[in-house]
Amino acid sequence: MKVEVYRRLMAAQMSRRKMLKGAAAAGVAAAGAAGGLGSFAGPAFAQGNVRTNILRIPGVGVGSPTDADWQKVGALCLGPTKINTGEGEFAGVELTFLGLNNQNLHNFLFRGFLKPWEAYTGAKINWIDLAQADYNARLQQSIATGTVDFDVIEMGAPFEGDVCGKGLASIMPDWVKQQIDMNDYVGYLKAPVGTWEGKTYRISIDGDCHNFNYRTDYFKDSKLAAAWTAEGHQGPWKVPTTWQKVQEVTKFLKGKKIGGFDANGYLDPLKGWGGFGFYFLGSRATAYAKHPDDPAWLFDPESMKPRVNNPAWVRAIQDVLDVLDAQPPDQINADPGTTGFQQFLAGTGSMLSWWGDIGSNAKTSDTSVVGDSIGFSILPGSDDVYNAKSGKWDQLPSGPSYAPNMAYIGWGVYVMARVDSDSKKQKAAWSAAAHLGGKDISLWCAAYPSGFQPYRNSHFDIPEWVGAGYDEAFIADYLASQADSYNHPNAAIEPRIPGIFQYYSVAEDELAKIYAGQYTAQDGADRIAAAWDKITDQIGRKSQIALYKASLGLS
Amino acid sequence: MMTPAQSEGDRLHTVLSDHMSPRRILAGRALVWSAAFVLFATLVVQALHDFEYLSFGFETWRPVLYAYVLWAISMGVAQVLLRGERGKRALFVLPAVLFVVSIVVFPLLFGLYISFTDWNLSSLTGRKFNGLDNFRQMLSDPFYWNALKNMVYYVLAISVEYAIAFGLALLLNAQIRARKFFRVVFLLPLMLSPVAVSWMVGKSMMEIRFGPLANVARFLGWETPSFFGSPEIARLSIMVMDAWTFIPFMMIMLLAGLQALPKEVLEAAKVDGCKPWQSFWQVIFPLMLPVSITAIVIRIIFKLKLADIIINVTAGGPGGATDSVTSFIFREYRDRSNVGYGTLLAMVYLILIIIFVTTLLNVVKRWMRPTN
Repeated sequence: MKVEVYRRLMAAQMSRRKMLKGAAAAGVAAAGAAGGLGSFAGPAFAQGNVRTNILRIPGVGVGSPTDADWQKVGALCLGPTKINTGEGEFAGVELTFLGLNNQNLHNFLFRGFLKPWEAYTGAKINWIDLAQADYNARLQQSIATGTVDFDVIEMGAPFEGDVCGKGLASIMPDWVKQQIDMNDYVGYLKAPVGTWEGKTYRISIDGDCHNFNYRTDYFKDSKLAAAWTAEGHQGPWKVPTTWQKVQEVTKFLKGKKIGGFDANGYLDPLKGWGGFGFYFLGSRATAYAKHPDDPAWLFDPESMKPRVNNPAWVRAIQDVLDVLDAQPPDQINADPGTTGFQQFLAGTGSMLSWWGDIGSNAKTSDTSVVGDSIGFSILPGSDDVYNAKSGKWDQLPSGPSYAPNMAYIGWGVYVMARVDSDSKKQKAAWSAAAHLGGKDISLWCAAYPSGFQPYRNSHFDIPEWVGAGYDEAFIADYLASQADSYNHPNAAIEPRIPGIFQYYSVAEDELAKIYAGQYTAQDGADRIAAAWDKITDQIGRKSQIALYKASLGLS
Repeated sequence: MMTPAQSEGDRLHTVLSDHMSPRRILAGRALVWSAAFVLFATLVVQALHDFEYLSFGFETWRPVLYAYVLWAISMGVAQVLLRGERGKRALFVLPAVLFVVSIVVFPLLFGLYISFTDWNLSSLTGRKFNGLDNFRQMLSDPFYWNALKNMVYYVLAISVEYAIAFGLALLLNAQIRARKFFRVVFLLPLMLSPVAVSWMVGKSMMEIRFGPLANVARFLGWETPSFFGSPEIARLSIMVMDAWTFIPFMMIMLLAGLQALPKEVLEAAKVDGCKPWQSFWQVIFPLMLPVSITAIVIRIIFKLKLADIIINVTAGGPGGATDSVTSFIFREYRDRSNVGYGTLLAMVYLILIIIFVTTLLNVVKRWMRPTN
């Protein structure tokens, strides 16, 4: 869980009484499990206890966890390690771990979690801490100059193309898959994510996706409802579930008032954000561009020909242009951070695509004015979806087409191939990684400040969270908004090809010109496509095709 | 011991004997040539290994660096062995020369080579020599030319900054109350990091809904203030923030110049009946020209590196209106790992800066000379 989310949650909803109530409930649940499931094998029973016990460290509402707490959690979660590894088995082994120091979490947590592991196995870990801003450059330089000086790395899935695609990562042994219970991952984190050419490389420790946040008070407002009908719009005044309706609602709201203030519809971030801004156009485009029969939506997998200038993407860009004048003032200078934290949370705008954590902030942030009037769903769909193979727009018999944008895919832990020559070191590296990506430890990370979001099906067990002290209504809403996106069958998975952020970055530059009125949607999209083609040629078209196909799970 | 006659022409009046034995000279030559051979051999082997002409070689280029250090030390020792006292004198300069060569000249030459390569860090094939392709790409790159055009605007803005800085310097040079306090206060913006200025001013004070500057703008009748919404106003806002940071720098230089002005001349002007305005235009301004030009040239050099505020506040937008060459190169490098092309852009920019500053200095040379 992100730190700020945790703090807000605690400030807003936690009380000692609730915590004790939750703890008691958990105790009852645990007792029930002990009695009712007594005939099950030991590990299952033990796991239940572990999960209950770690969720009490340090206890929800009693302050932020410390290094001592992380070590306690690490020690309690050593069970799976002990099954596969003998005590002192890695004595004399030294591993180097490269990770982030964001918000004093990530590597800081990992140090605490792995200290008991080091004590048990006898291995020693050396740490390389990097700031987020330095991460990409450091990784790219290591790869390009052949100076990979680390054995284990914390890495986002978008970089898999750069690392796994170049054979720099170690293939995950089967015992690790069993130890971390990979089947528990939410749908979209399963293969092909984390795999290249059928081989598995990634231990997921995080999940990411864009979902749709909306203001319930807007769609309950009787005056707006009356105006909607009076203006002859089709259907009732309600939360839009397709982009066509989002556009209609956004245009309708222009010039309207709600609670005495200017009403605004969907918020588009029009300013770049170091490549991350492209995800937000992606969230508008996936419903048009991601056909259920085709895993590809950004490039043609046979030629790497960009699809960013096909009718689906151009339509998404045109949608943005069509509602430019309905956006709040100075929107041209609003990046995704502004739209999320300074606009939506502050009461500007009624609809927004963002990562899952913005929704929970809206509910609990001190600066939020929309806490009691927010709802969540998966991203809107479209009445028709573009079929890149036939070049036509299809209307699905099942109704609107939905394609949640799995933006960034989340953090994972990877072992580098350089350990493969030493079997003892290789096992040690995978053991350390598996400990960090373990099923129980991941629940603690999802529930406490860690920098990571839920990403396993077992994370969506509401009673466990309630048992830890969370308010049931809130946490159910918070989790459901993500689970529906994660498990969607037509989720748009990000291509994990080398240099993916180069494509996004150059697209942001061209989009800025489109939004500033210098090009039409089609002209601008053609320029993006030309720039993407140039990047593909520079990186190597043949290899990009092969890696793109591999990332999509195509042979 | 040398006699005064022997040391004629030797200004340092060296007292030690410079007699070099053939054995010593031989040892010196052997040392320098063997170290040079080691360096050359390591370099060649590693280059051939790197280009895959040789199967054996080192994993990294670090041994070449060690060979260079060995050669440098040997060169120093050999100077003494071969040239005696004169060699010792050379040792005062040689390490500095070799150091500069290794950390300035070599990287510059290496950078020049990189700029003629196609090197995207994500490419599986690594670095490839591509001749003038990067240069051709630059010629047709609208983003680069747009950034260069913006730099012209940014540099022209220095004239306004100079006028303000001069005004402030005159003010602080006058006998005003709390003069020392104001000198410190006016210097404060210069002490701030441009990144802090970006966030405190650009992202907070100029925020359109709750920013105090936006509120003032509303109070003054600008209904929907937007400091970064239109290209012209966004560029102006960036200029203002940058000026706010660096005007104190020009001001302090000009103030120092004003305080060094000969008081007799100013008093003579006053005695001759000069009015304040005449005194400024006829006496102070001409006397201040050398300082003014120095301040402007240094400010131009600072301005040509403008990037941090732009990166943080506008990311070059809207539509490239505020992009600077440095912020564009930053995106090419950091976001796109396009090392070859990014380096070429930087090299071309460096050459343009050298030409521009050299020309400027030549043009203003006659005003730089102190008047008698």
